[in-house]
Amino acid sequence: MRKFAVSLTAFAACLFAGTAMAADPIRVGIVGTMSGPYALFGQNFKRGIDAWVAQNGNKVGDIPVEFIYRDEEAPNPAKSRALAQELIVKEKVQYLAGFYFTPNALAVAPLLGESKTPLIVMNAATSAIVEKSPYIVRTSFTMWQNTKPAALVAKERGAKKVAIAVSDYGPGLDAEAAFKGTFEAAGGTVVEAIRMPLATTDFSPIMQRIKDSGADTVFTFLPSGPPTLGFVKAFIDNGLKASGVKLMSTGDVVTEPDLPNIGDAGIGILSTYHYAVSHDSPENKAFIDQFVKDGGKFDEIAMTSVAAYDGARLIYKMIEATKGQRDPDAAIAAVKSMSWVSPRGPVSIDPETRHIRQNVYLRELVKVDGKLLNKEIQTFEAQPDWALSKK
Amino acid sequence: MATRAGPSGIASGLLSPELLGFLVVWALGTVGYVLFPDDLAFLTRIVSIAFLVLSLDLVTGYCGVATLGHAALFGIAAYAAGNAARAGWADPLVLLAIGALVGAVSGLATGALIARFRGLPQLVLTIAVGQLVAALCNKLGWLTGGSDGLSDYTVGPLFGRIAFDMYGRVAFLMSVAILAVVFALLLRIVRSPFGLLTRAIKDDTVKARMIGASIYPRLVAMYGLSGAVAGIGGALGAITAGVVGLDGVSFERSASALVMLVLGGAGNLWGALAGTLVFHVFEHLVSTANPFHWMSLVGAMLILVVVFAPRGLSFGAIVLWSKLRARSP
Repeated sequence: MRKFAVSLTAFAACLFAGTAMAADPIRVGIVGTMSGPYALFGQNFKRGIDAWVAQNGNKVGDIPVEFIYRDEEAPNPAKSRALAQELIVKEKVQYLAGFYFTPNALAVAPLLGESKTPLIVMNAATSAIVEKSPYIVRTSFTMWQNTKPAALVAKERGAKKVAIAVSDYGPGLDAEAAFKGTFEAAGGTVVEAIRMPLATTDFSPIMQRIKDSGADTVFTFLPSGPPTLGFVKAFIDNGLKASGVKLMSTGDVVTEPDLPNIGDAGIGILSTYHYAVSHDSPENKAFIDQFVKDGGKFDEIAMTSVAAYDGARLIYKMIEATKGQRDPDAAIAAVKSMSWVSPRGPVSIDPETRHIRQNVYLRELVKVDGKLLNKEIQTFEAQPDWALSKK
Repeated sequence: MATRAGPSGIASGLLSPELLGFLVVWALGTVGYVLFPDDLAFLTRIVSIAFLVLSLDLVTGYCGVATLGHAALFGIAAYAAGNAARAGWADPLVLLAIGALVGAVSGLATGALIARFRGLPQLVLTIAVGQLVAALCNKLGWLTGGSDGLSDYTVGPLFGRIAFDMYGRVAFLMSVAILAVVFALLLRIVRSPFGLLTRAIKDDTVKARMIGASIYPRLVAMYGLSGAVAGIGGALGAITAGVVGLDGVSFERSASALVMLVLGGAGNLWGALAGTLVFHVFEHLVSTANPFHWMSLVGAMLILVVVFAPRGLSFGAIVLWSKLRARSP
């Protein structure tokens, strides 16, 4: 009898939930850099999500999904935390996603447990973020993930003495540690490790130090934007390129929106990254066609749009698995070890770290039909975040 | 006018300015708590910044020290509170005291240097101090978490019993209570002989010296007081946000605090409060309505205020009030 009562109640609850679901959409809060110097990347979040919604509809089953956007603007953890709190408490969002900057994502992590809200990080690339809460999944990349293959390539291509020059902040230090560790373990020598202040605009003194160090290869990481251009220009103007020194970087230095500014001088730069706009696959073509069809400019496609596109896929999967109920454990369980073919190539969510496993490509900057692009010439398959996973 | 600016002048017959300040802050807090129960995290952030703007008003508005590096005091105290919490000092009131103390010490130290100069050299020096602190905070990753921010600390419950909730109720009420007390104290201090003397120094340094005032110690003392106030704000931010980032010591933070002060009216504590509130509420409304192009609207508002109320909103309101009173006797 008691069992019957329980099942009757459950049935009634389902009915009630069913009617409630039809009326109320599931809300998803997206926090990204929508204005200011990093606006391109935040707006790419929106474009990526829009592309997913255009292809898959704005409903999961018969549950409507609604995305709400907020501007994180700059690294400002207190502001991001307040925004996330507002989204959870006032807008009643069931999922949070986005976050361009690491400190902003870290600030939000403590809210997730109490509010039972899963967070899909669509950019912030410091390894430790996913360890801050069991409700965090990441669809972007980490510095370790992209940098380790760069060190292997350098070794493979005969580099003996490498100079490292990175921006002096978290991701830069990660890149330095990853490259140095991998390269030295493979038997190479790092002759110079330079940390450049983020605001550096004149790179000539740094080029001089690299010259003096006698390095045959330079590895660099700078956040994408004006400084990367200055670095590449200084590398060429100071005669390092002419004297045969090789330049390697992560793809952040040669993101597609920056290529027209770098110009022909950049041809030949090697970089390792998880996504190239020129990636040749039907999935990527469909994604880019949708992106452009919705009014996005081809030259403004950034990696954040793909991370958001894949993030939206995860959110749809979570909603499907939980039937629209707030159940973060079931939602996270549903996407752990999920694998699919993303516009960037085959990917999966690592069940241990909840970070995305993906191919990292070695690319060479080339000019095809008058257009600069990163041509993929070598693939490192299914790379984890090397800071969190050992294999 | 100088001492009885703002609403304190209007109601001076009934209440002392200090009591009025205390009650107005509580009234505003209650209105916020009752009408916007879903926005308490945002309102708490305003209170934290209000301390910084009040602190800036003490040195800029009352002493005439031009500074674009004031966030350094705010940020150092925030890092101090965060590190104290990391070391196991979990009580929020203890953390606030630590913030105030560290802020005061930093204020005295930087003030001792900055107060030696006047005018442009002074301004440049404040920027240099601010940049130096920002660079150090980025460099000393083991102490500050670098660009990732300091977040691996937990703050215990208030009075050992009341835990901070996700809706931000406890954090907000605590912040408002502290702001009310500090605001009332500051209103008292700026009316004291010490406060009046700093005003004289600002208006005319030579005359102030002729009446026998020793200028340098007064300025340094005010800087120390200002540091304590900024420190409380920084510690409050660390406690309520659960994370301390480099933005707390950034040039942008210093500059935006100055913008809020000018918006509300420098040289008037009520103006500092009003500027912070108006700036944040306006920014919040437009950035929620349009997260992509809100900055241009904020810029437009600032231009309008500077054109039509060049001495800030609070002085503009006083002028308007006295004009209205003159018209209807």
